[in-house]
Amino acid sequence: MLMKTRLLLLLWGIFGLSSIAQEQKMTAAETIAFKQNVNAVSNKIKTLSNDFVQFKHMDFLSKDIETSGKMSFKEPNLLLWQYKKPYNYSIVFKNGKILINDEGKKSAVDIGNSKIFAKLNKLIIGSVSGNLFDDKEFDISYVKIKGQNVARLNPKDAALKKYIRQIELTFDKEDFTVTQVKLLESADDYTRIVLKNKVLNAKIEDSFFSN
Amino acid sequence: MQKLKIPFLAISFFVLISCASHKVVDGYTNKTPETKVYNAPYFSNLETDYVYKANITIYGNELTGIFIAKKIDEATHRVVFTTEFGNKLIDVEVSENDFKVNSIVSELDRKIVINTLEADFRLLLRKQYTVQEQLENFENTVYMSVEGKLFNYVFTSKSDGKLLKIVQTSDRKEKINLSFTSENNIFAQRILITHQNIKLKIEFNYFKP
Repeated sequence: MLMKTRLLLLLWGIFGLSSIAQEQKMTAAETIAFKQNVNAVSNKIKTLSNDFVQFKHMDFLSKDIETSGKMSFKEPNLLLWQYKKPYNYSIVFKNGKILINDEGKKSAVDIGNSKIFAKLNKLIIGSVSGNLFDDKEFDISYVKIKGQNVARLNPKDAALKKYIRQIELTFDKEDFTVTQVKLLESADDYTRIVLKNKVLNAKIEDSFFSN
Repeated sequence: MQKLKIPFLAISFFVLISCASHKVVDGYTNKTPETKVYNAPYFSNLETDYVYKANITIYGNELTGIFIAKKIDEATHRVVFTTEFGNKLIDVEVSENDFKVNSIVSELDRKIVINTLEADFRLLLRKQYTVQEQLENFENTVYMSVEGKLFNYVFTSKSDGKLLKIVQTSDRKEKINLSFTSENNIFAQRILITHQNIKLKIEFNYFKP
């Protein structure tokens, strides 16, 4: 028993050290500069399109579940999220409504007065646009991992916390846009969304956000 | 959900007092059983992640997401249902004698929902059926297995041995119907679960993870 405990402590020590080696907390000055850069970029976003690949990770699975598609955002709050592989499923967030198209089958959900949906909506839009540094809503920590800037947001709202324990946003080194969103339900259960082929501020009509 | 409870209860009550009997094996003839145990082929591999797009229709309401089943040891399956975004709605462990709820969102946390899922998942994931009776017609061989007060009819194809459907009945009245579409009788590409006593339909379409 004692042997086992020692072994566990040793392993914990090794992994603890290795994670420290890879990860560095931003200094106060770095944090301020980083936030300013992200906010400046996020304020300039009128429209944004990305291809995305989503990996659902759960420890008991032998492989992450991979889905992919395209997302489009138009300021201030139009969002179209389209899964194209392995199925066609798209969801539009528009004027307090969620419009769903599931392989041609359409439905709508009115989220009008639902506080939790409004928060989730804000969270999704904020995640892709980078405009999410609200200290009232989240406990936020800023770190550097292998030279990349990462913000970790822990929701303060109890209702939101039930759905998401932590949101981890990774930012592009050069242009400070979001390149990865990681939604953690627990340490061994998370969704990782990798954003790529970004197009900034192309003309997108409002009518594009329909389903 | 509260609104659903009343029709659920009303219909369950109606089913209880109804004495009409539905014979799922009308036209079949009895045969001496050739086997004592029928081994179900689907969901039986410890290495495979069984991942499906799920469409659930409950009293006219649609719910979609991803259904994941994984055999985690000889007796137990882990079953998770998530939204397309990956948020977990239901996470349970199912075995022959146990049903452990690891997590469930509050909107679905109702006894009637949990009991229904327990019955459906157990039937879907069960590895073995003890054969009490064997029946057949021109196309199919049916293995009948008794489970407490319930009867499970396992329909297989005579031509290629594929598992086609499993029908659970109470006192010979149909309750749950699982029908499978499979190319190789190793995993099912499409699964349809229908209920006769509640307006619940579940459809799974396999997608390669």
